[in-house]
Amino acid sequence: MTTGTTATRGDGDTATVEGVEPVESPRWYAIVWRSGKARVGIVILAVYVLVAVFAPLIAPYDPTRSDFDQLLEPSADHWLGTNTTGNDIFSQLIYGTRVSLLVGLLGGLLSTAIALVVGLIAGYTEGTLIDEVLSFVTNLAIVVPALPLMIVLVSYSEVRGLPLIVFVIGIISWAGHARAKRSQIITLRNRDFVTAAKFAGDSMWRIVFREIMPNMISLVAAGFVGAATGAIGAEAGLSFLGLGDPGSVSWGTMLYQAQLQGAEAQGLWLWLLAPGLALSILITALVFINFGIDLVGNPHLRDD
Amino acid sequence: MALLEVQDLWVRYEPKMHRPLAAVQGVSFTIDEGQFVGLIGESGSGKTSLGMAVLRLLEKPGRISGGSIRFDGTDITHLTEDELRAFRWRDIATVFQSSMNALNPVANIEAQFRDALEEHTDLRGRAVTERVRELFDMVMIDHKFIRAYPHELSGGMKQRVSLALALAARPRLVLLDEPTTGLDVMVQRSILDNLRRLQREQRFGVLLVSHDIGTVLELSDKILVMYAGKIVEEHTAESLLDSPLHPYTKGLLGSYADPRAEAVRITYIPGRPPDLSRPIRGCSFAPRCPERIDRCLTDDPPLVSIDQARVACHVAVLQRLGGEDAHAVPPPTTTFAGPQFVKTAEDASTRRGSDTLIEVRNVSKRFRRRRGLRVTTVDAVIDVSLTLRKRAVTALVGQSGSGKTTIARMITGIERPTSGKIIFHGPAGERDIARYRGRSLRGYRRHAQYVFQDPYASLNPTKTVDYILSRPCRNYHGMSGRQARAKAAELLETVALTPPERFLNRYPHELSGGQRQRVVIARALAAEPDLIVADEPVSSLDVSIRAEILELLNKLVHDRDVGILYITHDLLSARMLADEIIVLNGGRIVEHGPALDVIRNPTDAYTRQLLDAMPNPFTAARGGHTR
Repeated sequence: MTTGTTATRGDGDTATVEGVEPVESPRWYAIVWRSGKARVGIVILAVYVLVAVFAPLIAPYDPTRSDFDQLLEPSADHWLGTNTTGNDIFSQLIYGTRVSLLVGLLGGLLSTAIALVVGLIAGYTEGTLIDEVLSFVTNLAIVVPALPLMIVLVSYSEVRGLPLIVFVIGIISWAGHARAKRSQIITLRNRDFVTAAKFAGDSMWRIVFREIMPNMISLVAAGFVGAATGAIGAEAGLSFLGLGDPGSVSWGTMLYQAQLQGAEAQGLWLWLLAPGLALSILITALVFINFGIDLVGNPHLRDD
Repeated sequence: MALLEVQDLWVRYEPKMHRPLAAVQGVSFTIDEGQFVGLIGESGSGKTSLGMAVLRLLEKPGRISGGSIRFDGTDITHLTEDELRAFRWRDIATVFQSSMNALNPVANIEAQFRDALEEHTDLRGRAVTERVRELFDMVMIDHKFIRAYPHELSGGMKQRVSLALALAARPRLVLLDEPTTGLDVMVQRSILDNLRRLQREQRFGVLLVSHDIGTVLELSDKILVMYAGKIVEEHTAESLLDSPLHPYTKGLLGSYADPRAEAVRITYIPGRPPDLSRPIRGCSFAPRCPERIDRCLTDDPPLVSIDQARVACHVAVLQRLGGEDAHAVPPPTTTFAGPQFVKTAEDASTRRGSDTLIEVRNVSKRFRRRRGLRVTTVDAVIDVSLTLRKRAVTALVGQSGSGKTTIARMITGIERPTSGKIIFHGPAGERDIARYRGRSLRGYRRHAQYVFQDPYASLNPTKTVDYILSRPCRNYHGMSGRQARAKAAELLETVALTPPERFLNRYPHELSGGQRQRVVIARALAAEPDLIVADEPVSSLDVSIRAEILELLNKLVHDRDVGILYITHDLLSARMLADEIIVLNGGRIVEHGPALDVIRNPTDAYTRQLLDAMPNPFTAARGGHTR
């Protein structure tokens, strides 16, 4: 067999080696950190995490200890005073951080995991029976009113506790995110590199979760932060309605107690304000972080 | 006085997260009234930045950091947006590659012309309609499309509408940035012919920015060659072809040849343009230059006038003007002394391949599109029969919409034929490809792999080269992780990405376009297929490096016992690679035969049209071009 190649390669080979200077594109964390809002959010979240981890060192008392005098004014011993049952409000506030962050983390993870599996599989198989079924379930989960369903689920269950709250939040809040992920993967699944993966012999699961998912990681991260925010709010809401874990102290249960004891009518503002403010600041911080994550997935928003 | 006068212009990009770079470095040139100027360079040469700066359309983080732009005597370098409005469209108009997508989808074409005309001229009412008709005649579009909406027009028509829109207010200078890139060869030809005719009639100045020296040469009076942010050669179009001065220009010209010649020789420029964010010592082209001398590595050559031309090259200056080292340089050449890929008539007529691999029997493909209740059908492929043989290269040639990609997709099992059969002569005997599903389709693809058009889209941006290459090894050959890594390194050697260790851990964005396409080819080889379907594998690469990839494919056929189905619109590359050429038009085979016969003695009118539409500075210069 003869070919007509009389290639004078010369220094062609060396030339393919040179000029492979990596194109430096900033890492995702650098992009997030550069956003002023996200930086504020990250710093606040970091403070919360530190408080949660070192709660036993920071809090002066056990949050369930109720042998103090009731309704003490703020003082050096009790920074935020005590409540009607004789608990130290400041200690409760510190320990409450643990519950909120834990619920946010676990609830967010569970919700994101369900949303990923359902959304990605449905989107990848768009138009088939699998997609029809998964989309139907997703749509159903979207239209069912979340809060009443959560209340019903929690109030009829025999055991109350953190795992139940996380589980209920997880299975109720995934639907919107699943829909977003389905539409995102539909735009990605016809890319050449996906076809290439099929030609390389990869299976559907591998293509969806190893090839495509890393390309939508900013959307997944944003979805997770959003889900975590929702989970923190939902836990506080459920606890406020008296459906929380009676054995643990969270900002929601603090608000529930305060409301039950008529803190507002008695003018015990600190008791209401402290957990409420802690909650709002945390949620605001998470929303700020999400602004930063948006910049990773959407370069148009970056101001450089 | 020149219409446009650019003096020592600098453009800097200062992004917050990257190193700053100077994309345009002290560029000076002029465009006279009615002069057609071509600006050529590879991607990354700064030609688009220069164009945008002239239009004052640079966006942050880019800015003009020095020099001046004078339009008709007025310094427009620092005019405010409001002051610029007086110039834009009326005096300076533009068409970009993406201009066709800038048409408003919810307004009809006439309304968009009316907007522009009423803003910039005194025409009102019926006079506007008249002018629109005139403009449509100018770009040769039927008047029935005046009231159409953009989505009812084809890409080529939309681009012609954009051109008409740019010319609506009779501008004195038109800047065209790759106005026909991405369009079909034939459409490209008709738009450019149109443009040249209009420019001669109306005498407006043009700055045509393109990477394709073939098209630019045919149209321009004067050529500016740009490399690494600087003008390296300025020359009139006629004398550029006869006596190119800068080695880079010679390299760009080397990508073209007449496919009908006895021995077709195309050269390529190895390597890639320098990173402008780092300091460069000496001539910026020196690392890729086959003619470099010691001085090139230390001194940056200034732009020197030689006769009517200007060039920034130590060697060219010594050759032409002499100097103390003049005896050290060889006499001037017109060809690029770098790597080349040659195919002689003798090679091309040696038939390769013997046993049948895939047989396409009377295949048709009809696509059904549903728009509301109406179902429209498109016959993409009509009654096509062909045979692919082992170890042979078959080229499917045709413009877009000719059905060539559909045939490729059916052969690889992505689509199924509406009627007819595609038979695979595999190890298990003859099998109908349309029957393959799931596991058996995967088994079939071990034998038939795909190389995609766009190496930027076909490599997963989040995966390393190692991962990308080891997947097929693990899936098809059951290799362990370590074996697959060794195999990946071997594949990189095969596609001349050496040493492999330097490439295995890279991500696609760290590679140049040519390097990416090599990785894509290596991935296709990993399965050790009998057939590689290569769908326009070079058309999204810079012209200057296309031959490099063609040469690699040719070498693979020679060394690795693999057949190639090469899909292209370009007959030159088909000549370089293929044993057999099949020409498709409107879904039907119109011509079929040994490569050389088809190119030298085309029997079908459409094949001749395709040959004529090829940009080729050499035949054009000889007046061999049919218009």
